[in-house]
Amino acid sequence: MLKFLFRFGTPLIGAGCLVMLALILTNRELPAHLFSSANLQSFKILFISIILEAFPFILLGVVFSALLQVFVTDAMIKKFTPKNPIAGVLFGALLGLLFPLCECGMIPVVRRLIRKGMPAYIGIVYLLAGPIVNPIVYASTFTAFRTTPTMAYSRMGLAFAVSVIVGLLLYKFMRRSPLKSVTPASFAPHGHSHSHDHDSAGKGFRGRIASILSHASDEFFEMGKYLIFGALLTAVLQTVIDRSTLTAFADQPLFSYLFMMGFAFILSICSTSDAFIASSFSGMFDFGPLLAFLVFGPMIDLKNTLMLLTTFRVKFVLILIALTAGLTLVGAWIMEVLL
Amino acid sequence: MTHHLIRAAILTGFAMFIVYLDRTGEMMLYIAPRMELYVKLSAIGLYAAAIYQVYAALQKRLGHANPACDCAQEPSPSIFKNIIIYGLFVFPLLLGFLVPTGTLGSALASKKGVSLTGISGYERTSAPNPLAPIGVTSAEASPAPAQQPNATATDSLALLFPYDEYTEAHAAYGKKLYAQSLISVPEKQFIETLTTLDLYREAFMGKEIELTGFVYREEDMGRERLAVSRFAMNCCSADALPYGLMIIWPKANDYAKDEWISVRGFLTTSTYMGNEIITLEAIKLERIKAPESPYVYPDLDFG
Repeated sequence: MLKFLFRFGTPLIGAGCLVMLALILTNRELPAHLFSSANLQSFKILFISIILEAFPFILLGVVFSALLQVFVTDAMIKKFTPKNPIAGVLFGALLGLLFPLCECGMIPVVRRLIRKGMPAYIGIVYLLAGPIVNPIVYASTFTAFRTTPTMAYSRMGLAFAVSVIVGLLLYKFMRRSPLKSVTPASFAPHGHSHSHDHDSAGKGFRGRIASILSHASDEFFEMGKYLIFGALLTAVLQTVIDRSTLTAFADQPLFSYLFMMGFAFILSICSTSDAFIASSFSGMFDFGPLLAFLVFGPMIDLKNTLMLLTTFRVKFVLILIALTAGLTLVGAWIMEVLL
Repeated sequence: MTHHLIRAAILTGFAMFIVYLDRTGEMMLYIAPRMELYVKLSAIGLYAAAIYQVYAALQKRLGHANPACDCAQEPSPSIFKNIIIYGLFVFPLLLGFLVPTGTLGSALASKKGVSLTGISGYERTSAPNPLAPIGVTSAEASPAPAQQPNATATDSLALLFPYDEYTEAHAAYGKKLYAQSLISVPEKQFIETLTTLDLYREAFMGKEIELTGFVYREEDMGRERLAVSRFAMNCCSADALPYGLMIIWPKANDYAKDEWISVRGFLTTSTYMGNEIITLEAIKLERIKAPESPYVYPDLDFG
């Protein structure tokens, strides 16, 4: 402990001093503004509410993933996944209809599926399409956009198309596994292969329950740190950034798309409730940018990018984000022109 | 073993936090009522995981191998890394338990931008002029009164509330409100009522209206105007958006921002930032105690 103090104490104090110097030199009012009690209250409420709201879903995700781990063998996954790549991609895109998980619950499940032998491109397609192409999100979008029902259809359609195209591209060009190669020193205690697990699973009911709890709670901590960090950033940005100054971009055609996608990325709200946010913008933005918001947000956002980085290689995550963003932009623009 | 115990403590902490929020009634500050059940259920899951962590710690202490599988490695040996990671989990707990809870108010409302016209996006059907073509459905349903001298009250009502397929529910609700001598904006359908008032502002012109909310002020409003606002929440407060109604009152400046008030007044319109918006000419303002739930929720059964 003392060693730790000596090793990191000085640099930390140094960094603190640098920050203070910078604040003195530039704009001293900033911290007062940030920590004023109204902003602190907003931050606290937003931060905790995002975590609380995500808890049920992330728990559902890790329990589901642990169940998969313990009860579903690799052979079963292989048997059920279509061999044909096109059928496989379609299968992945529609899997959300069967297992409607939201994006926070999705990542542990997808990782487990890929580790268990599901081809990575199918897993990614499920990861992208799952949070949108499912009945719950359809219903909430339909409710939020009662005046423009085409929004709900286009959202489902565009999400489906984007994820299928991404899946086919990945099938064609991806050679290495996108999963991180796991180093034993990483925080992930269960990062390596689980070939021995079937023996322990055979220990009867008690063994299986223990195994499920063990996997689920380990995974909860692994995903949880990124969830909390994402919630922290999101809450800070929401408390600090003024929405009305940003919406000055609303009139620029290309900018409005980019703005709404960037906004969705920062907000990181669940796909079941983002339609209501989008509908609050409907006076300000056209159909296309709103659609881009609704399609891009659930697929990629700040919170889930951090979670993706736990699981997938950095380069892969960046390519995935770029691909999804590009396709969503083009797709939403085409929809705007056509509809 | 320490890792298992730290994790058990954190998991218990979160479960206790959820119970604490539920007991103190603070849960509604964070989460919409329809999500509360799931959050409470997740507390049970967190407890179960915490108990398992204690169990695993004891197993290790007794020298047994990890009961689930023999693969559990110690997490990262770096103390620094672990402090950061566990600190990240402890931070929201400290914040939740130690920082006194307030509510969302003007500070966040100004960041999010208050909507002063209810939910935008509905096509406002034109004024109830018998000569001008109105919404197709209502025109078919009720010919202009000039051609029908015996037009009943329902016909003139239908004329006041033209609707298309999307605003049908609002028109029906508007007719109900129109019959009341004093329209009191309810908690349950706060947004829907404001939207209806905005959609059919001509019909409601001069009607007496009453509502409660917190005081929200922008610089452009000057000394004689303020907005009575509420946050509308869907799932959690991260998606809460402020809605409000503009109030004209000569001594509006006496009321500090975030104060809770109850207002009664007559509906009119005024121009704000170049837009014509519905406005209340207040006749009575009253400071009130903050209500139990500061939020309003969209009524999913509406329409």
